[in-house]
Amino acid sequence: MSEFDKLRVVIGYEFLKHIRRRRLYIILGLTVLVEAAVLIAVPLLMEEGYPDNVMVMAAMLSIGPSLATIGAIFFAGDAIAGEFEGKTGFILFTNPVRRITLVIGKYIAGLAAVAMLIVLGYVIVSISLLVIYGTVPVETAKSFGLCLLYGGAVLSVTFFFSSISKGSMGATVITLVFIMVVSAILDSILIMADKPHWFLLSTNGDSIATVYGGYELFMGGFSMEGMGIPSQWLQDPEIHLMVISMVIYLVAGFALSIWISGKRQLA
Amino acid sequence: MPEPIVIENLTKYYNKFLAVDNLNLSVTANSNVGLLGPNGAGKSTTLKILCGLIRASSGTVYVDGTSVAKNPVQALSRIGAIIETPEFYSYLTPEETLGYLGKLRGMRGNGLKDRIKEVIKRVRLEEWSTVRIEKFSRGMKQRLALAQALLHDPPVLVLDEPALGLDPRGVVEFRELLEEVGREKTVFFASHQLVEVSQICDEVAIIDRGHLLAYDKIAQLEEKYQSLESAYLQLTGEVH
Repeated sequence: MSEFDKLRVVIGYEFLKHIRRRRLYIILGLTVLVEAAVLIAVPLLMEEGYPDNVMVMAAMLSIGPSLATIGAIFFAGDAIAGEFEGKTGFILFTNPVRRITLVIGKYIAGLAAVAMLIVLGYVIVSISLLVIYGTVPVETAKSFGLCLLYGGAVLSVTFFFSSISKGSMGATVITLVFIMVVSAILDSILIMADKPHWFLLSTNGDSIATVYGGYELFMGGFSMEGMGIPSQWLQDPEIHLMVISMVIYLVAGFALSIWISGKRQLA
Repeated sequence: MPEPIVIENLTKYYNKFLAVDNLNLSVTANSNVGLLGPNGAGKSTTLKILCGLIRASSGTVYVDGTSVAKNPVQALSRIGAIIETPEFYSYLTPEETLGYLGKLRGMRGNGLKDRIKEVIKRVRLEEWSTVRIEKFSRGMKQRLALAQALLHDPPVLVLDEPALGLDPRGVVEFRELLEEVGREKTVFFASHQLVEVSQICDEVAIIDRGHLLAYDKIAQLEEKYQSLESAYLQLTGEVH
């Protein structure tokens, strides 16, 4: 039996795990809820109903799929650490299958689960834009691609923390703090200092919305231009650099998690 | 034909703590060998190295002539193992768990389905075969652990305290089952239970602080020390 056949088996059972766990449905519910909230709140808060520019509305609706990518943290936090903490590794690792096959299988299954949520988010975005504006901008496809890439990068970073953590909870919390706190604070500091910040994972997540036309367009949609927002906050996003950054997070996080998992002992 | 288990100059340090000290041991085909020793003697460490879960600091372990460190996939294909008190994926049923593990071992189709039914019946989990494991007691998990160890009909069984967590009836059934499978397989079996070991095994290896103190047939040790218990206590220094 080839390692590729074993990989297919691992992917199948790991995906089954995601399908059977409550966390998938919680994130799914949150994604739908957030999209519904945007669709209801925007015309209520803006006196003239939905924004005139479809790009502004598309950017605002992208918050749902962006939230779905955070699901990656909850799917992957226990992927590696859980086998050691929960002692399931005593059963799994005594089988004739390479650790690299197990990690790759877990990663692909996690990515498939996240992609499923992202696809659902973009189906909602597309239907909403079609109903409200009668069109779906081509940038939606770009946003979808960036969202998938961001989901993959977040998954890789979580796999890295899962491979070095003793417990699943620790891996999940560390990843959340890394993306939501550390990266976000650095992001704000670098923006205020007018320094490049495209290499930060939290900034990379912004590309999902800013691909529709940048921060200025987004602020304009809310009639926030001329409200004293510093110019550096409104600089055009460097999407191509953000793509490079996300690819680096994806490849480096994944490669490190494979390497560390292979070295890790189950004592 | 190589001996099923060969341990050569095996040493394992956990940081500065010496868990196994230059251990040498060979287990012959179809023999049932008990690995005895007090807590911290190095029994579990030895079995974990044998199953590729941890790496030796030095020395080599072979399964059917294959080095576990150099070719773990081939070595592990010859082993069925229960290490410590294993846990299972709570979202799967025993049938699904055995299906997963069987497929990882290259088993397929009706052959796998039939074998799953067979081992589930053997460990008396028929009524629970389609119930998710999250509802299982420790004893039931231990039975399932034995089922997965037997699933692919391996020539070598490596068992670490396999009766732990079982109720008295479960212990007796487990012992009978091991006696039965031990007739056709090589069993390397770590335990604290001298009675259990003497009923299942024909040979014992006694280790303490990572050193091999004795490795002989139980009958020989009983002749020399009056009983297996005396042999164990004298060799591990627990009588004065």
